[in-house]
Amino acid sequence: MSDVHEEFLAEAQEIIESLSRDLLLLDQAQKEHGPELDQTTSELINEVFRGVHTLKGIAGMFGYARLGEVSHALEDLLDQLRLGRVELDPSVLDVLFEGVESFQRLLVDSPDAPEVDVERLLQGIARFTGSGSAAPDDDLLGYELDPNVLSVLTEYEEHRLRTNVRQGVSLYRLKVRFSLLTIDSQLEDLKDRAKPLAEIITYLPSTGGGDGDTIDLDVLLASSAPYDTLEEALVDADAELLRVSRRSSGESPDRRTEHEALAPSSSSTPLPAPPPAPTPRPPSAAPVERREMSPDQLTLRSVANTVRVDIRKLDHLMNVVGELALVKSAVGRISERLRGRPELRQLAIELHRINRGFERRLEELQDGILDVRMVPLGQIFDKLARIVRQVAREHDKDVKLLVTGADTEVDKLIVEELSDPLMHLIRNAIDHGIESPKVRELADKPVSGTLALNAYQKGKHVVIEVEDDGAGMNPQRIVETALRRELITEEAAAEVSREEALNLIFMPGFSTRSAITDLSGRGVGMDVVKTNISRLGGVIDVQSELGTGTKFTITLPVTLAIINALLIRIGGRGFAIPITSVQEAILFEPEKLRTVEGREVMTLRGATLPLCRLDRLFRLEAAEPPELDADGTPPRRYVVVCAVAHRRLGFVVDGLDGQQDIVIKSLGKSLQRVRGFAGATDLGDQQVALVLDVPALLEELLGTPELTALEASR
Amino acid sequence: MSDVVKRDTVIPAAASQAPVLEREALTAREFLAFVIAEETYALPLHAIREILKPPPITPVPRAPGDVLGVVAVRGTITTVIDLRRRLRVAESPPDKHTRILLVAAEDEVLGVLVDQVLSVHRLLDDEIELSGVVGGDLSDYVLGVGRPRRSRRDREGERDTESETEEILVLLDPEPLLD
Repeated sequence: MSDVHEEFLAEAQEIIESLSRDLLLLDQAQKEHGPELDQTTSELINEVFRGVHTLKGIAGMFGYARLGEVSHALEDLLDQLRLGRVELDPSVLDVLFEGVESFQRLLVDSPDAPEVDVERLLQGIARFTGSGSAAPDDDLLGYELDPNVLSVLTEYEEHRLRTNVRQGVSLYRLKVRFSLLTIDSQLEDLKDRAKPLAEIITYLPSTGGGDGDTIDLDVLLASSAPYDTLEEALVDADAELLRVSRRSSGESPDRRTEHEALAPSSSSTPLPAPPPAPTPRPPSAAPVERREMSPDQLTLRSVANTVRVDIRKLDHLMNVVGELALVKSAVGRISERLRGRPELRQLAIELHRINRGFERRLEELQDGILDVRMVPLGQIFDKLARIVRQVAREHDKDVKLLVTGADTEVDKLIVEELSDPLMHLIRNAIDHGIESPKVRELADKPVSGTLALNAYQKGKHVVIEVEDDGAGMNPQRIVETALRRELITEEAAAEVSREEALNLIFMPGFSTRSAITDLSGRGVGMDVVKTNISRLGGVIDVQSELGTGTKFTITLPVTLAIINALLIRIGGRGFAIPITSVQEAILFEPEKLRTVEGREVMTLRGATLPLCRLDRLFRLEAAEPPELDADGTPPRRYVVVCAVAHRRLGFVVDGLDGQQDIVIKSLGKSLQRVRGFAGATDLGDQQVALVLDVPALLEELLGTPELTALEASR
Repeated sequence: MSDVVKRDTVIPAAASQAPVLEREALTAREFLAFVIAEETYALPLHAIREILKPPPITPVPRAPGDVLGVVAVRGTITTVIDLRRRLRVAESPPDKHTRILLVAAEDEVLGVLVDQVLSVHRLLDDEIELSGVVGGDLSDYVLGVGRPRRSRRDREGERDTESETEEILVLLDPEPLLD
């Protein structure tokens, strides 16, 4: 794929993401205020309009015809919306959401991408754009407005003017004089100052004032702010603010008299005679960009201070930092050696000091790169919010989404990988968890269900919770399903505990609904969710209370790139264990060993700890028995106690070599099928240590958690 | 690459002995020749990324039999395989000539341990006997047999011709070999 094309995809992606954010806000505004558009809402619509317009433009450039077609239709619909011809109601929002959703799919050019029924979508959009609403009554006549000005308003401007008048917002005219050279920036400045207080309906150049270097603008504003506030904000040396007064009721709303009413005398504030605006339009030669800035300019500006970077480039930088760390330790070793030579001692100290400085800068660099890789979870939460809305509507369920901790940051790679599992959990929660409004009412629960998405940092981990206040899971039914699917035996089922029962849902082949619904049944089950999470070095837990709700808790490392590890030795070889899975390391006392059903266990503080001799597992046993220590005893060995979720296992190792920050590198494709290793790390000095995949090893040695518990109970 | 450069005796200009007409009709391909268990093999030069003096190799428990282990090459963990096991020839302990060739296979760069790296050969089409011609049950990773023309070498006189016997290169196809 060419760079330019990739650039296009990235930009389109960005636009689509911001579109869905804006649509969600719009959805919220619609729920709160109904179809009437206030200033914020209409700005939102404009924002969406601009986004769609830009997307249409770039889609055309890159030959995405269907994407262009859909965005063109949506643009029409949005135009009608902002003109007030189409009312903003949930059904329109549905179409908008669906349209934006389809952008995403149309962008993915792969053959296995779900088909987008463009025709159906276009028809859906056309339903709204086909007919406009009736012409509004002419309530503008009550204002002393220049009909010549009115006649050059665009349809949109006129609509905004009418809306403001209907809502009883006061109208003002601001006469300003700008220098031709700086008009662009002055106009921008004026817009910025006006934005919090007033809506600019239009601005027209007046032909009367202005010499060769300046130009007079007539700005029509709508504002609910008091005159003084407005004046203070907007009026400087070359400006004048006038209130457009309401015509007194006695006067005839006849067009001719209205024209006369523009005369200064009729106004409470002395109005300088407005220059007769030329009809139809002011000469286009006027160096004034009268309309809004073009959409392209706006989008260009908004991203100017950020850079998009390919994650692979960051990976490369991280590798370079890793190399530098090796250089650092090499220099360290040299300075150690120099120290041993008395005549070079001074030099050694100096070198050591320089190396320390190097080390600190290197750490900063490393932190910096890690920081760049961090992105807020909000990135996927936005996407998920869209899905919540969609799934809830499809299922006729009333669901409120509460999000906390959207600014919690995790490694970009983790965010990418999280999106599918979270999406699945959310679909499940709405589909199986939250009851329909009727059922909820009967159960004396609030009609609208709540889905909470919480994220927070906990030490070196990030915790994400997906919690619903739905029906909860029935352990009895889960066990029955597991039995039916022959995932457990009758005997085991009889003794299963509540918690064990809940955990059965993570078993491959388990699905609580016999019919696969179009929502949750996307061919993946909770077992896939669990696998995806553990691939990220995370764990997933479930708690559920019948009738009250279900909560999934995902615990993940903040970053995949660098972890702290315990270095161990087995059969003369070095390995690393991520410290996050290590509970403690204790001395191995062979005399305390017990065997339970062929498995070695020991007792640790009153609880049984299964053991695994890694040298046997990895076939690294020394050919000869280990040499005895000086006092005639075999050398000490250790037990490293590892835990993942609620399961514990002790690994018997030959030695502990301390802790170290390591960068985990994945093993090549050729070793992908080798189980038990999360990757390898370069320890410097050409030494590579394999990193144990503790969750996988525990799974392998103890079986799946559900079954272990069940086996043990047999 | 110093080894290669030093021994490089048959680089492009040397392909001048074929009659003009014939030469124009032929295309030349470059192979890197190396020794495994006293046999001379060669891989297409374009597939070779780098030649390394072997760093300590970290064995990977549970890995397939022909995987020697992993090494770190500038931050990337690279799997090293021993072709002797795949080619079913006897193993020998590493010595000062032992090298690791980094070979680009389909989805990853693999390290291939060889006993000695020889030189680059530029072979014309008529110097290559494809495996179909050779017959027998050659494995699918054997591309064919390369027979560089002796006469060329003699006239170039860069090498002691006395030590040269008829040279045969077993040309390997990296994709099935490393698959």
